[in-house]
Parts: sequence; structure tokens; C-alpha cells
Amino acid sequence: MISREVCRRVLQKAVSTGADYAELFAENTVNHSIRMIADKVDAIQDAVVAGAAVRVYKGLRSVMASTVDTSESGLLRCAEQAAEALGQGKAAIDIVLHERLFGDIHPVKIAPTSVSNAEKIDVVKASYAAAKAYDPSIVQVTCQLLDVDHNILIANTEGTYAQDRQIRTRLFTQAVAEKNGETQVGYHAPGRRMGMEMFDFIDPKAVGVRAAKQAVTMAGAGYCPAGVMTVAIENGFGGVIFHESCGHSLEASAVAYGQSQFCGKLGQKIANEKVTAIDDGTIPNAWGSINIDDEGTPAQRKVLIENGILKSYMIDKFNGRRMGMASTGSSRRQSFAYTPTSRMTNTYIAAGNDKNEDIIASIEYGLYAKEMGGGSVNPVTGEFNFAVNEGYIVRNGKICEPVRGASLVGKGSEILQNIDMVGTDMDMGQGMCGSSSGSVPTNVGQPLIRVSSITVGGR
Amino acid sequence: MEFTEFKNAVIAEAKALGLTDYELYYQSGSDLSVSAFQHEINQFSSSIDGGVCFRCLVNGKMGYASTQALSADQAKSIVAHAMENAASLEAEEEEFLCPGGKTYAPLDRKPYTLPSTEELIAAVLDTQDKLYAADPSVIDGTSARGLAQTMRIAICNSKGLDVSYESSVAGLIAMPTVSDGTEMENDFSAKLGKLDTIDAKALADKAVARAKGNLGGEVPTTQACPVIFDPEAMSDLLQTFSGIFSAESAQKGLSRLAGQEGQVIAAPCVTLVDDPFHPDNPMPINFDAEGCPTYKKNIIENGVLTTLLYNMKTAAVAGKETTGNAFKGSYTSPVGIEPFTMYLAGGDLTEEELLAKAGNGVYITSLGGLHAGANAITGDFSLQSAGFLIENGKKATHVKSFTVAGNFYQLLKNITALANNTQLPAPFDMTTFGAPSVLVEGLSIAGK
Repeated sequence: MISREVCRRVLQKAVSTGADYAELFAENTVNHSIRMIADKVDAIQDAVVAGAAVRVYKGLRSVMASTVDTSESGLLRCAEQAAEALGQGKAAIDIVLHERLFGDIHPVKIAPTSVSNAEKIDVVKASYAAAKAYDPSIVQVTCQLLDVDHNILIANTEGTYAQDRQIRTRLFTQAVAEKNGETQVGYHAPGRRMGMEMFDFIDPKAVGVRAAKQAVTMAGAGYCPAGVMTVAIENGFGGVIFHESCGHSLEASAVAYGQSQFCGKLGQKIANEKVTAIDDGTIPNAWGSINIDDEGTPAQRKVLIENGILKSYMIDKFNGRRMGMASTGSSRRQSFAYTPTSRMTNTYIAAGNDKNEDIIASIEYGLYAKEMGGGSVNPVTGEFNFAVNEGYIVRNGKICEPVRGASLVGKGSEILQNIDMVGTDMDMGQGMCGSSSGSVPTNVGQPLIRVSSITVGGR
Repeated sequence: MEFTEFKNAVIAEAKALGLTDYELYYQSGSDLSVSAFQHEINQFSSSIDGGVCFRCLVNGKMGYASTQALSADQAKSIVAHAMENAASLEAEEEEFLCPGGKTYAPLDRKPYTLPSTEELIAAVLDTQDKLYAADPSVIDGTSARGLAQTMRIAICNSKGLDVSYESSVAGLIAMPTVSDGTEMENDFSAKLGKLDTIDAKALADKAVARAKGNLGGEVPTTQACPVIFDPEAMSDLLQTFSGIFSAESAQKGLSRLAGQEGQVIAAPCVTLVDDPFHPDNPMPINFDAEGCPTYKKNIIENGVLTTLLYNMKTAAVAGKETTGNAFKGSYTSPVGIEPFTMYLAGGDLTEEELLAKAGNGVYITSLGGLHAGANAITGDFSLQSAGFLIENGKKATHVKSFTVAGNFYQLLKNITALANNTQLPAPFDMTTFGAPSVLVEGLSIAGK
């Protein structure tokens, strides 16, 4: 994208007022999406994102400037702006850039940018038709195929000059069922860090059926009762409980500033001994995977919690300075226009030893949360919430009638202690995680778990 | 190249390929942000973002393509892509471009000079100092932030439309973290406007008082009871469900308000307004994302749904005129529908009278997880909440870690009274929401 020599000149300009570190991030991304609703393809979005950002550090201060002008003069202006904002001083660094090749641990067979609209529409229609045909109560379906071809370049004064091409594909299907004048929604949206070969093993029809089935089930359901209960949370997107209750509070963006319930707790027991949790950006072709992070650090597999003991935070270079700790390859940004910070990749509770049937059988009265929706957390207090998209009452150790409209709320530090059974079959679900550096793809995951006590929001 | 040069290149390409109906939508924004940690500036960012969307009609279908790279290659590429995308579309609703020559309401805005970087830094450090000075419970993790944003939109099309808009806004945000020795809490308070007119001490004191108010607190008992949403909580709820008033949602079966125009959908005390020129909206605008004139309208008047919100396409389907509510979430998005400043009109009770009317119940000051715990299609919500108990008509114990659950369509009908304190709590965008304190019957509280 941008030559090593131009990068060197830009970085030289960036450190001209005394910065002790400078970085150039450039991107060229194609975002494409096709939407079908009411039996017709009704919208195609097709956008090129192109721009660059210069960041400089001096001690614990950081300055970022971004631009859509990626000509050499535009980049130099951007670097100058960052340097000026940092203050006055003299350049103290000589810059030599070496091209660094990381290899690609996420092979792509069919780059989506090389696939015609017509082929993509076939996928959309297959999922749409399967959802619509599932049941006469399905009154509306929305189906969207999104693909991203994200090319990034990172050069910094530590000598890094690296590029990565990150391709992602996701199929989103939402079905609306209507029964007795009330509507309910079902939803499924698998995604991978790969191209159109994703559909070699994810059947678009199965995606549609899963969304429709959920809508039909929930349309027949009564409201979830309210109160404190024992809850079993299914694998896959159920892992959102760890993402919200703990994951965000382990990001350096919170920890470095004392804004986390888990500050200063490394080596301490913060969760039930049944809980081992991992953030792993290196899983081949997983939705949240990367080769390098947005500061050019290779992706890592980090054990965050081992048998209940806090082992690691998720750290980016800038916040790592304040913490006196090295980057864990966790720096991410939605695009060049956002200041990057520490974020999750694929974050999950590792498989345990409890059998699924034992977990359900252990619950006298409670909730089985089969499909979860999104959630949010305040890392300072650890207060989190998330939605249950498909839930069932458990009575005398048996899964009974479906219930709708439930959410779960709690405090991370308390809920982590309450995860007292952990199943054996870990699986992940895909999400877009929103935070100060924008919206980035993340996987959440876990096996079936039991939370001994949590507040269920219902009525 | 600059936008004008790029625009000319795109138009030349469109004409060369025989296109007769096309539009360029240009959006650019600059965003200056400064934040402090302890008593120093620790982060500064100056970002420029934005790009161009080209759309064109080919055989009655409107194809779109966008780019941020304003180059000669991209000028050709977005025209080709938009035509290719048009050829893949199937939707049968007629698509329109807004003709030029419309009359637009004058914008009554005072000229606004954004602060310099130095002024912004000084104001942030001052606010940060005042946060620490506000109370001994304030601890590190406290942060003040200043921002200055400029947004520019220009739309021109082959039907003679050529409109543009520029708006700037600056503001300060105070975000204290407090501790009572055992528990940490945080909160924020924000103020927009010229920096020298913002009272940093008042802003810091308000934010710290809010954060301190979050400390402690009990979990309320699970119950069904009267609930008051304060203006902030009610505005958040209104924002979450604002999509149900979109004609697009109604026509696609994603809103239960389809076919309800002229019908009673809310309690008689409810009037819902959309006003693009609301004085508290920092970005009043007199044209929508299609370039059509915007205007003030009542969406609900005394409980009756007067009108949904329309753009040109959905208005034609319904045999109506557009309400000037076309909206693009980003310049890359297809034209959708949004309100500008949507607010519930105030009632005639004071806040105290509203509390007295509630008797015993729960007063909610904040809602969490709105993107997850609420479904605009079904109207169901179950949301993390914090606030106070209402006992004998007065605010009592601070409560948190509970949920409030109900259905928004039902809630509209179950509003029994509104206070006279309508506010726009978070006017940071072109789309903003407001409400007074609102008393609702028939909601469920889940606590202990």
C-alpha cells in the first residue's frame, strides 16, 4: 500500500517534536453486504474504506491524527499534526524499517471480492427460503450476507513494517413469527474469518431454519418469570456471560486506569475454581482471529483465568506502558479513524468435566438459557446485563416450556464465583463487540455452564 | 483530489455511461478529542472521516456504491459498482430522487467558532481539577474529556438538487470514578456549547453527585408496581423503540403500527413530536438524507397516531407525501428513516406531583443493555435498571441491580401521567431524543 521509504519519512516527521514512539496505520477495506427482505433483494452496500492514522507516544501521553488523504503529502501533514499536538521538542530517534512477514494462519480459498453478486444472492436466497418455508407462522424474514476484505499496514519506530489481509464473511438471518396477534423474533448469524468457502460447511438453509425455529418456539411462549434463580447457559453464544461479566474488565483500557473491578488482582482467585478462561486470537479462521493486532503485534493465546486464578490481562502497547507490562497482541480498532485499544478476540470458558445431563438434572427450578442475545457491562462496577433470546423453564431436573422476554443481570465478581458446573462441549458464537475503538468482530464461547444464582429479569 | 473535482469526474463518468438519474451524497467529519487522567492530558486524537456515496437508477432499481478514496480510478469504479449493484436488486417499490428548487426553512443558528486545541486542553484540565476537588471520594480513573466536531453534508443530483450543510459542536464530558473504600462507582455528565459558557464546576459537581449517588443501594424486591422513568431513562427507552414509527418498518411487517395511522395507540395524555429545529438540538437541519425539506410534526397527538415517518419511497407506497425523515446512518448506507429530535411533550404535573400520584413504586434513573434487552419488533423489553424506591409519594431508598420488564406498545397505553420537565439529555447527534418524567402502570420489577 505505502512504501517502506514513505513510511519512514512519515514516522520521522511524527517524532520530530520528541515523541519516543510513532506508528503509522493505513487501511484499504472493501465492505460489501446484500440484504433480502419481503421476498426481494432490496439493498446492496458496497463501500471502500481508505485512510491512515499516525500515533505518537511520549511517556504516558498519546496523540493520534487520522486522514483520508493517503498521498505522501497527506500522510506527512497528518504526522506533522500529531507531532505538533504532542508539544515542542527535538527528534531523538533514528528510524530503520524492516519488512516483517508473519505468515497467514487463516487461509482463504474464495476471496469474497472475487465473487459476483449473483453467487452471493444464491446464498442469501437459500437461507431466506428455508426460513420462510419453515412454518406458516413466519411472516417476515430478513437475510443479509456481509463480507469484509480488510487490508492493513502498520509501520512503527521499533522497526516494524507489516501488512495483513483480514477477510471475513457472515450470514445473518432473522425470522419473525406471528401467533395470536403477537410477534416474536428468531435470529442466527454465523461468521468466520474466511471467504465464501464458509458455506462449504455452514449450510445457509440450516441458518434460516435455526432462526425460524427459534421465532416459532418463542411465539408460542409465555413470559419468563422474574426473580433469583439457578440458570444453565448453553454453549456457543452463551459465552457472552464471560465476555460481559469479566472480559471487558480484563482489558488494559480499564485496568490501566483503575477503572476495573479486577485491578491488582493478578494471581488472586477471582472466579470459581471450575472456571478457566482463554482469549485466543490464533484459532485458524475463527471470527475473532487475527494474524497481527492493529499495532503489528502477533496474535497470542492467553490464559486469562486458570482454575479461578487471574493469570493475565489483555494489553495493548500504550496502556501496557502505564501498567509496566508488554502487549499481549490485543490492540484493535474498527478503522483508521478510531484510536486503537485493548480488545478481545476469541474469548471463552474452557471445557470442564461436568456432563450436560448432570447440569440440567441438578436444577430443581430454574432457567435453561439456550440462545443468548447481546449484553453490556460497566467495567468499573462489573454490573452487566444480557438478553436471553430463547429460554426454557427447568423443573425437577427437566427442561420444560419455553419462556420469552428474559434478561440476566448481575455483578461480574459475584457471578464468576457462582459458575459452579462447567460442561465438556465448548463451542463459540459470533458477535460484534462495541467499545471506544469501535466495533470489532469477536467470538464468545463456553460449554454448557451452571450459574448457581443470578437475577432473571422477567415478569 | 478534492470533492468538487471528484464530483465532476463521477458526473462525467455517469453521463458517459448514459445514466440520467443519479446522486452524489458527500459526508465529511472532523473530530477533535482530548482526555485527561490524573492531572495530565493522556490522550489526544484528531480524526478526519467521511466519503462519497453514488447512487443511480437503472431500470427502476437504485444501486449504491461508496468510497473514501477520492481518486480518478475510484470515480469510475463507484459508478460501475453502483450500476452492477442496481442490476442485482429485485425490490419493486418505485425509487425517487428529490428534484431541485424546493423551499427550505431558514436555519436560525448562531455562528459557532470551535475552540483551538490549546483552549480545549485547558478546559479539560480545568474540569479534571474540579472533578478531584468536588469530593474526597473521587479517585483515579476519573476522566474529563473535551471534544470539538464538525460535520459537513452535501447532496447533489441529476434533477437539479444541490444542497449542503455544515455544523459544529463542542463540549465537555465529566466522568468521575468514586469509592467509599469498599465499592467503586462511576457516572458522567456532559455539556455542549461554547467552552467559555460552560460552567466546569457545576458540570463536575453534578457528575460527582451522580457517581456518589450510585454507591451503596439495595436490590428491590420482585414486584409489579407503578414505575416512573426520569427524563434520561425515558429518552433512552424512546430511542430504543423509535424504529417502530418508521414507515419502512411498518411496510416490512417489522412494526406493529402498520395500518394504525388515525388510531389510538397511546394514552390520551401522550403527544410525541419530531422537530428538526428543536432549540436544544445542536445540529438542526433543514433537509433530510434525500434532500427533501424537513419540518416539525406530531407523530402521536393525544394518544392518536397522526403519522408514521416517511421518506420518498415509503410515502409513494402509502400514497402520501414524504415527512422529510429520510436518513442515512453512514454515507455508505441505503436511505432509511429516522426522526431528528423526537420527544414526548411534557404534561402538567410537577415532578413532586408525579411522585405523589405514583404513591408506591420504583423511580428509574438509568437503563442498561438497551441494544440487547429490548426488541423493537415485538416491543418486549427487560432492562438492567437503577434508581430509587418511591414510598408514600417520595423518593426513598437507592436501588440497583434489578430489571424492569414490559412491552413498549403496551407501555404507550399504560402511561398515566407526564411531568412538565421535558429534556433532551444527550443531544450529541443529528438524531436525538427527549422526554419528561413519565409514570407508567403495569411493569414488572425483578430484583431479590
